Formats: sequence, C-alpha cells, structure tokens
Amino acid sequence: MGTAVKPQDITPVQPPLLRRRRLLPRQLAGSPVALLALLVVIAWICLAILAPSIAPYPPLAQHITSRLDPPSHAHWLGTDPLGRDILSRILYGARLSIPVGIVAVALAMLLGTLIGGTAGFLKGAADEVIMRATDLMLAFPTVILALVITAALGPGIRNAIVAIMIAWWPSYARLVRGLVLSLRDREYVLAAEALGGSRLRVFVRHVLPGTISPVVILSTLDVGHAILTFASLSFLGLGPPPQIPEWGSMIASGRNYLDQWWISTFPGLAILTLVLAFNILGDGLRDLLDPRFRAR
Amino acid sequence: MTLYRYIIRRVLLLVPMLVGITLLSFVLSHAVPADPVAANLGEQAAADPAIVAAFKHRWGLDQPLYRQYLVYLWNLAHGDMGTSISTRQPVLLDLRQHLPATIEISVAAMMLSILAGIPLGILAAVNRERPIDQAARVTSLVGVSTPVFWLGLVAILVFYARLGWAPAPGRLSASISPPPFVTGFVLADAVLAHRWDAALDWLRHLLLPAVVLSSYSLGIVTRMMRGSMLEVLGEEYVRTARAKGVPRWALLFRHAARNALIPIITIVGLSFGGLLSGAVVTETVFNWPGLGLYAFSSATSLDFPAIMGTGIVVAAVYIVVNLLVDIAYAFFDPRIRVG
Repeated sequence: MGTAVKPQDITPVQPPLLRRRRLLPRQLAGSPVALLALLVVIAWICLAILAPSIAPYPPLAQHITSRLDPPSHAHWLGTDPLGRDILSRILYGARLSIPVGIVAVALAMLLGTLIGGTAGFLKGAADEVIMRATDLMLAFPTVILALVITAALGPGIRNAIVAIMIAWWPSYARLVRGLVLSLRDREYVLAAEALGGSRLRVFVRHVLPGTISPVVILSTLDVGHAILTFASLSFLGLGPPPQIPEWGSMIASGRNYLDQWWISTFPGLAILTLVLAFNILGDGLRDLLDPRFRAR
Repeated sequence: MTLYRYIIRRVLLLVPMLVGITLLSFVLSHAVPADPVAANLGEQAAADPAIVAAFKHRWGLDQPLYRQYLVYLWNLAHGDMGTSISTRQPVLLDLRQHLPATIEISVAAMMLSILAGIPLGILAAVNRERPIDQAARVTSLVGVSTPVFWLGLVAILVFYARLGWAPAPGRLSASISPPPFVTGFVLADAVLAHRWDAALDWLRHLLLPAVVLSSYSLGIVTRMMRGSMLEVLGEEYVRTARAKGVPRWALLFRHAARNALIPIITIVGLSFGGLLSGAVVTETVFNWPGLGLYAFSSATSLDFPAIMGTGIVVAAVYIVVNLLVDIAYAFFDPRIRVG
C-alpha cells in the first residue's frame, strides 16, 4: 500500500549515520533473514533479466485449446482466461515492476530533493510556504491522489509513474529540508562561506552533497512500496494495457474466475516475495540507521 | 502553554489548511490535460459545438480558472459541492451516502490492528531477539508487503468460494432490505429501527474486508509498539520499579506499557492515511459502497465535482484525525505543550 508512515516521518535522520554504512555487510552476514532477502531480490532481478531465455512460452502467446488450465507439467502455474502461460507472464512482469519501482522512487526523490532543498536553502517565509504546501500534499492518501492523476492523464505505465512521483515527493522534501537545515550550520559550511563562496555555490557544492547519501539509502527502502503501489494502480485498471504482462492486472484478470484460483494467486505471491524481500532489507537498514531501534 | 490554548491554536490552524486543501484539489483536478467534456458527453455529442457550449456553460467551464475556483469556494461555504456529472446528484449527498461505509471499514480495521498489534508488540519487545520477536517482525513485514487487493481476492476465494464461511462480497445480503437511512451507518440505523437481522448480516459482511484491510496497519502498530516498549523498558523509572521488587506483570503493564502506548497514538493517526488508501482497493474488491468505490468510479469517468469533493473530504478527515491525535498526545504527554 501507500506510504502512510515512512521512517522519515517518525524519526529524524542524523547525518553521522553515513559513517555507519560500513557496518552493513557485517550486519547482513549476522542476519540470515536479511541475507535471504538479499538473495531473493537478486534472484528476482536475474529472473527479470533472463526472462526471454528462461520463460517457457512467449508472454503474449494465446493457447485457445488450453484456456484456464490448472497448474500442470506443461504449464507449471496454469494458464489464464486467454490461454496464456502464467509463469511466463510473471517472469516478464518482473521486467516491468522492478524498473518501474526504481524509476518512480528515483523521480520522487529528485523532485523532493529539489523542493525540500530549495525550502531549506531559502529559509524564512519561502520555506514556510513550501513546507505547508508539502504538508497539504501529504494529507491526500497516496492511492486516491494517484487515482485522480492517472485517471486524468489516462492510464499507462508512464502516467502511473508520474502519479507515484507526485504522490511521494513530499516525504522526500521533508527529509531533505531537515538534513539541509542540520547541515548548513556545520563548521565546514561556515568555513566555505568564510572563504568567500557565494551562498548558492556553498549550498550546491557543500550542503547538498551531504544530503545525497542518506536520501539515496532511505529511498531504496521505498522501492518495495512503489512496486506495490504500481500494482495497485494496475489492478484498478490504471496501469499498462491489459495484454502487457503486469502483476497487478494479472491479479485483476482472475477476479471473475473464483474456481481458477491459480490466475490471481501466483502473481500475488510474486509481488509478496519481491516486496517482502525489499522491506526486510529496508527494515534491517533502518535498524542500523536508527539508533532508537538498535540493541541497547 | 496550557492545553486549552494549544487546542485553540491547532484548531485555528485548521482553517488555512482546509482552504489549502480546496485549492490543491481544485488545481489537481484542473491542471491535468484531460477533457471532461469529451469524457462525459461521449464522442458524438462532443463533436457538436452547441452541445459542448451548453455543457461548459452549465458547469461553469467557460469561465476563467480563478473565477471557477472562487465560485466553487463560495458554493462550498454554503454547503454546495456542485452536482456530480455522472450520478446527477449533489456531490454532498453522494459523499453523505458513501462516507459512513468507509468509516465503518476503516475504524473496524484500525480497531483490529490495535487489538492485535499492541499485545504482539509487547510480546516481541519482552522477548527481544528471540524467535517470538523474529516471528512478530516477519509477520508485520508480511502485512506491510502484501497487496491488499490480492489478499482480499484470496480471502474471498478461500472463505467464500471454497469454504462458504463468509457471505458474498457487499455490505448487506441481497435478501436483507437495508434499514432506513438515518445516520448512514448500518449498525446505528439497524439499532434505531430495531432491525437486528440487518445488524448481524452487516457484521458478517464487515469481518472479512476489515481483517484484510487491517493487515497493513497491524504491521505498523506491532512494529512501533515494540520499539516504543523497548525504549520505555530502558528508562530509569522502570529500573527503579524493578529494583524495589514490583512484580514482572505489573512492571510490564502498569509501568511500561502505559507509557509505551503514548507514541502509538501518533502512529494510529499517521497510518490512517494508508488505511484510507487501502480502503479504496479493498472496497473495490469487496464491493463495499464507500468513498473508495465512489472515488474510483468518479476518477475513471473524470467527474470533476465528485473528484474534488472526495479529495476535500478525505483530506479533511485525515487532517482532523491527526489534529485529534495531536491533542490526545498533548493530553497524555505534558512535555509536548511546553514551548
């Protein structure tokens, strides 16, 4: 589902966390669950890349004679109402969902960094106006906002990504602004100013780079959420056209076939495993970054 | 600052927020390059300039944008949100009919996740790093990672189609006539009309979608309760209590859990937005006639008055819930009021 509660809403992120990144491999090695999650994510990425060579059938090939076939030797995960092989469509679906999740989060992060950075740079009244507008955006539930945007722009992959970006930038804007405000009074920034750097130059060269690492790290945690939101929009018919293999619309295609449980079940498991793996990784990372949750 | 003054300040801040919401939802539904004329008239009628002009004039679409907004705001202040283009009913009436269903399902889901999430979080914190904690952690992560619409479909598949334990999707069975509309809440209306059959039937229909919808917030509540409990357990007053020999259960529930609950209030408010998002898809899967279903149908038919009305109401509900949450927080934790 959406992004109702993000870690950055709850706890402020302290810049020194950057230095703790080196702990990450050790933490991963110490936690079998996190290691497994990492393997699952890597496995899904490999499956997505290799889909054209390992999928048993072309994702669009319709076998009219084998419509609604239950899982069998020929079709491991069964076929859908048009006789298409569900396993093949799931494998091809990964080629869409993973990049969409990454691109949507990256765009939201860029927009949020731009707006939050501007607010933190300008301070004062401009900051106040920008941040109140950001709060307003946050008051709209993600899916309803995305629903309105995709409905108005028309369904499609690009518009779904735009919708997720518009719905999500405010939380990044908040995060970046907070980081900028905490960085701009640091001694090295004051030193750069004392050396005669213009405000803008100091900001772009010295303050902004300091925000990049935590923002990028935290945004990787959101890729799972983005994949889920994209699937939701797609399920509602606001994603790619129905023939394109996409997990959310595959689930929707099984809605009227309650006896053919495999149509909806398997794509859902694909979403669950991938998103869960992303979230477990993110959760471990959050524990590491957030001293409140670390072992005392 | 006293609690009293804090509340007044927060309530006054509500006014610009609400005006901002109307502006934002107006901009959102007008800044997009979609043509409501074509969407609502169909291609044939949209080709006739006379019909188009009449349609635009009727809905004020031929006036400049800022005028449209001012007119909208003026009407809104008089309780008029315009007429839905697709249902031909006043939007306010539509919302009045759909909002209670969404409140029913959201509140039920929130209650379920609080009832289950708080004990689970305490259990996880007390058994930190032990298998039970890991299990609670994975459970809550699964809850956050599961597509609600898929979980809903699987639940219908298993409990309705296979086992026959749950009734068919919907708010009431077809054989049950709905109680007369007074509050819009089936339970309240049924009680008012002494229609116990309707109340029971409603409860049977509510259970499955509420459980499905709660999967998301359950994970969040569990996770936050665990963190909050761990923090409180590390406080000195807990150590003091332990040192003076307070029994373990009293230490956990009377000293620790009561204080650990305070941050949970905030989480409940924040995750309410996610709950409303989840309600949209849950309602479409379970055919639950709430705001989500209404938002979905009005968004797909580009019914601008309905979209704006829904956006405003949903955002206003979210803001008011969070205001109440903040006030409750200030009430329970006096430190917030200082400064």
